[in-house]
Amino acid sequence: MFKRLREILPLWHRKIHPASVDKPVLAEPAIEPAAVEPLDDEYIAAHPAANDVESLVNQMLAHHRYALLLRSQIAQNLTPELYATAEHALNEAMGLVPTGNVYLQPSVFDVDCQLIEFENLTAPEEFTVAVQSVYLDRHLVTNRQFQKFVDAGGYQEMAIWDQEIWPAVLDFIDQTDHPGPRFWKNGHYLPGQANLPVVGVSWYEAAAYARWVGKRLPTDAEWVKAGSWPVTLSPTTHLQRKYPWGDTFDRGKANVWASAPSRVVAVNEFSEGASVGGLYQLIGNVWEWTATTLEIDPDAEDAAQGHSTLLKSIRGGAFDTYFEHQANCHFASGENPILRKHNIGFRCALSICDIAEPPDAALHDSNLSDDVPNVKSPFENVHSEPIAGNDSTEEQLNSELSDDQVLVQPVESQATKENRA
Amino acid sequence: MTKAVLPLESYRLAQYAVQVPCYICEQGNAFDAELCRHCQAPMALAHQVHYQKLAPQMIATIGSSGAGKTVYLGMLLDMLSHMPDEMQIVARGAFSVSLQQNVVQALARCEFPAKTPNEPDRWNWVHCQVRNPKVKDPFELIMPDVAGEALLEEIEHPHSYLAIRSFLSKCSGAMILVDTTSLAAEKSGRDYFTLKLLTYLSELDKDEKTSWQNRPVALIFSKADQCEDSFDDPQIYAQRHAGSLWQFCRERFKHYKFFAAGVAGATAFRKVPGVGRVRAPLRIEPRGVLEPFTWIVRQAMAKSEPPTGRSLKKQK
Repeated sequence: MFKRLREILPLWHRKIHPASVDKPVLAEPAIEPAAVEPLDDEYIAAHPAANDVESLVNQMLAHHRYALLLRSQIAQNLTPELYATAEHALNEAMGLVPTGNVYLQPSVFDVDCQLIEFENLTAPEEFTVAVQSVYLDRHLVTNRQFQKFVDAGGYQEMAIWDQEIWPAVLDFIDQTDHPGPRFWKNGHYLPGQANLPVVGVSWYEAAAYARWVGKRLPTDAEWVKAGSWPVTLSPTTHLQRKYPWGDTFDRGKANVWASAPSRVVAVNEFSEGASVGGLYQLIGNVWEWTATTLEIDPDAEDAAQGHSTLLKSIRGGAFDTYFEHQANCHFASGENPILRKHNIGFRCALSICDIAEPPDAALHDSNLSDDVPNVKSPFENVHSEPIAGNDSTEEQLNSELSDDQVLVQPVESQATKENRA
Repeated sequence: MTKAVLPLESYRLAQYAVQVPCYICEQGNAFDAELCRHCQAPMALAHQVHYQKLAPQMIATIGSSGAGKTVYLGMLLDMLSHMPDEMQIVARGAFSVSLQQNVVQALARCEFPAKTPNEPDRWNWVHCQVRNPKVKDPFELIMPDVAGEALLEEIEHPHSYLAIRSFLSKCSGAMILVDTTSLAAEKSGRDYFTLKLLTYLSELDKDEKTSWQNRPVALIFSKADQCEDSFDDPQIYAQRHAGSLWQFCRERFKHYKFFAAGVAGATAFRKVPGVGRVRAPLRIEPRGVLEPFTWIVRQAMAKSEPPTGRSLKKQK
């Protein structure tokens, strides 16, 4: 049945995205292990830019910021070729989770959890959430990807951080007091860890990175839907998998305590545990921050111990998760969003409604035939990171920000807001 | 028609006439006693030692009430029973599985196990065989889960708990749990319970050769998941946050080492119907649990070659 789905989904995707007809969309085994980092500085060297716009696009692609290129403010000003390049990068790096309902199992920390039969996946209405189409990263964000963010001054660019965390950003330092994840040294990941998922990052660092690349953190519902791939048999009955590969745990398909590596492994390992949509390591290796707040009974708050009820939901289990039932698609744990744990990483999401339609080729050709000054730079209204030759100071950049600028706004689509509601 | 075979009463009387010594307190009991009438330790230990010609060593897991002894011990046993390629344990007797069962079942439900009662007859004793692929002969071990409050009572009023005193006198080493969260919350930065416990141990045996000064002591910062710094370097953490403890160990013990261990990745409060508000683990991710045990077993084995079943038979 799922083989058939894999055949159908690309067709469905092409229907809503005609421009992607010639590109692989839901590549399940399409991602070769070695192709985790298809875009880096070598990409720029391999693709000499014809003009400034192309140069900037190449740089954005090298920094894994293709999602920004596909925003409507920019996409309409790109050539169809550049748009197609960005879209190809998107399809290579992200998997599509289609629209539909998903049953969210309540946490044991919910007040009413005792009333729920946990093994019963016949979903009661109140725990069924509608999810809009969304792209999720195929792989967890790696150290190498996060290095781009650090090198580009992401920790100094306050506009992409939640305002309430500004005082703490200076404290997000590595082992040598440089801005960066907790276990790095001298502002750089440790040798041999380029393809390992970035860990030692707080929820706020994960959210800031996601904004920087034009994405966001997935909600709980989106994450669960990506992994459990629900099938709706009737309005109240959903069949959902416990694990991305089925209903039975298989230690060969996920890096948890029982699997024995006892350490974080590269994001392209355990590829047999990929989801139907081609997402890797949803289960195991490291927990994943989500955008959702873990609901805990407010009466249970322990003010004396300084524990807050504001915990962010983490999903999927990690290499040291002891119980298999705590590393499945349904189990939610929580963590203080400011803590930087050794086994929590993240992947990003992008709502499909945040992706612009391909630019009109005919219109673009007519623009090109006009005088050069009439060609609008795609980055005219977008605040990007400081680039070579751009000597803007941080203050200048911040003063340039306005409400309609893409990067500085929390990237949250209408669909996401609805999901949260 | 079959004839029932009835035991001769004279044999039973003869068995009653011979007292069976408890393996812990060494005082006599009736042959069919379930618990020692003096210290309440299970007599199954004595029977196993007698019939299987074993001489198990003992390792204590002790600490203040709520330090996490039960969770640590239960998790340790469960982890070691899953590791065929490394140090592995095999339980001896059904009673030896009870602790592991209670702890793991509770943790799987995102709950901590119930507090160990103060009554010695309700403590869980574990008798197991430790198998190490690198060592030819297996290693017999007894580890009880004693209540912290009972331990405190014995420390402050010696001889109030015979089981504790007898057991600690015979132990080959001890794993002492220090509650990291209490240590952090304590403004004076001192763990007085552990200091008292160490003093008690150092006074327990005056013989220079067999005193606790020469026995290995692993000091474990428990619940370290709530204090990540302790994982980085437990020795430095001890110096900085438990200075008096560190100093005391330097003065009184020759073989000691600090460790950090955590079982729950994070905790939060939850409401349990009929119970109320309880702290519960948000997930289970054991960290640093095996290291102290491995260290102390190696220390104990290095110090004195344990008299295994085979060697005991040869001696006899």
